[in-house]
Amino acid sequence: MRFVLDTEQRLLGDTLHGLLTKAGTPALIRRWAAGDHDRTLWSALGETGVFALAVPERHGGAGPLPVELVVAAHELGRHAAPGPIVETLAAAALLDGSAAAGPAAEWLPRIAAGQAVVSLGSPGRIRRALDADAADLILLADGEHLFSAVPEGPAVRALDPARRLFPVRQVERLATGPAVPRAAATAYDLAALACAAQLLGLGRALLDVTVKYARTRRQFGRPIGEFQAVKHHLANALTGLEFARPLAYGAALSFGSPDFPRDVSAAKAAASDAAYATARTALQVHGAIGYTDEYDPSLWIRKVRALRSAWGTPADHRARVLAAVPEVRGESPR
Amino acid sequence: MNIVVCVKQVPDTATERKLRSDDKTLDREAADGVINELDEYAVEEALTIKEAHGGEVTVLTMGPEKASESIRKALAMGADKAVHLSDEALHGSDALSTSYALAQVLKKIGFDIVLLGSESTDARTGMLAAMLSERLGVPQVTLANKVEIDGSSLKAQRLTDYGFDRVEASLPAVVSVVEKINEPRYPSFKGIMAAKKKPVEKLAVADAEIDAAKVGLAGASTEVVDFADAPPREKGQIVKDEGDGGVKVAEFLASKKFI
Repeated sequence: MRFVLDTEQRLLGDTLHGLLTKAGTPALIRRWAAGDHDRTLWSALGETGVFALAVPERHGGAGPLPVELVVAAHELGRHAAPGPIVETLAAAALLDGSAAAGPAAEWLPRIAAGQAVVSLGSPGRIRRALDADAADLILLADGEHLFSAVPEGPAVRALDPARRLFPVRQVERLATGPAVPRAAATAYDLAALACAAQLLGLGRALLDVTVKYARTRRQFGRPIGEFQAVKHHLANALTGLEFARPLAYGAALSFGSPDFPRDVSAAKAAASDAAYATARTALQVHGAIGYTDEYDPSLWIRKVRALRSAWGTPADHRARVLAAVPEVRGESPR
Repeated sequence: MNIVVCVKQVPDTATERKLRSDDKTLDREAADGVINELDEYAVEEALTIKEAHGGEVTVLTMGPEKASESIRKALAMGADKAVHLSDEALHGSDALSTSYALAQVLKKIGFDIVLLGSESTDARTGMLAAMLSERLGVPQVTLANKVEIDGSSLKAQRLTDYGFDRVEASLPAVVSVVEKINEPRYPSFKGIMAAKKKPVEKLAVADAEIDAAKVGLAGASTEVVDFADAPPREKGQIVKDEGDGGVKVAEFLASKKFI
């Protein structure tokens, strides 16, 4: 197996990087946090085919393509793109797998084309729906039932102002049956994987900007990047991110196999830890400027902290990895 | 409408560009190759013309094997097919011999309109459109910031220092475009996947009836005699404003003959 990205996957990543650089995400993130849910970037991502990666071909998509999803989510994280992108991708998997023929036919083509913003919740796992006031559709998976839902009350205070979380309540039942929890499980794993990839992208961007800063910021007569203690922090951040990256791609490759949930959890736990350590290093190396709202990396730092515990905390995911070890399950090793 | 877009792979402008010490040609290993940015505008214009008037868009590039990445991007944007002229004999060709080689290919594949960026970000001669039109014996419309096709002729706005000229030319013609002409589209994932199946014809010099003696380093009319790294930037001088800052700025500008 060739464990490198092919030309097409790299071109997808480069395209998104170009598009998002030009879009200028820092201003968009601030506007999104202020409640301005302009869809220009969302539509552009739809035209590029980001959402189609999670929608099957029979509903106008190209997926599910987990490796391409990881590539795309990495770039979306690198630019800290705002909005319920991962939620919409997960919703596609949920609608597709829930045996809800009507809603799937209605919503999946719109999702694929970037014409629908979807958020979701799931009691116990995702108690609050992200950006629910900006969503065209909110899904709520509860046991064997899939509901549409509406926001209930104002947004709760969140760590990351650009991630606005709402309590929701169910309004209409869309599907019932054993397919719903199965689809919800797949949707959860795909979302956790996309979230892990986003974290790696966020970490990469934070490391890049911090290395640049360490080269120019001078103290005691030389750039602070020349001090070994600073170098070591940066090197640790890099190795953390680099060790987590293959876990994300590895998990993408095991999509559809019984190992997928375990591999996703390994990736999500490692990516959360690596991105969070990088964010803390970025904050420390930047000194006081890192704490200012006006300085763009603060948007990335707060998003890392939020995504670290979104779609399962590192502890949740470690527990899933542990539970998948045969000896722990009381089986003989494979 | 048979539209041909000439694209060039250039070193990424974001990276440090180098010349090779042995034969003083571009060091292609030192930097990542990307499609020349201005050529993306030419591809976009070609696709726009095709969407309005029908026809086919062919991408033409001359360069080593690695240049196929730039072809791939143009195909992913929506071009229909590509011709890749690649031969060791072409290594070190200057603008004049490049125009000869490309003109030979263009004569072979045929065209109604040839589009290209107004210059490449590496060599920056901006001469290729003029040279191609001379060699092909067709009108040249350079520095276009607007192109309209009308049957067998085209109308264009040509960017100048004082505004723009309105020019008309009969087809076939060679048109170079500036970045004000449009906003290049991003390839979609479907476009990227479709590009895999699009035909890329590979040509060597003999296939295009190119005389190998007229191209490459030996066939070049210009020669890089010597080169040196750009000197490091000198440290700026800090002038403290003690009420006379304006005068000091004016004195500085006068000393550099800006005012």
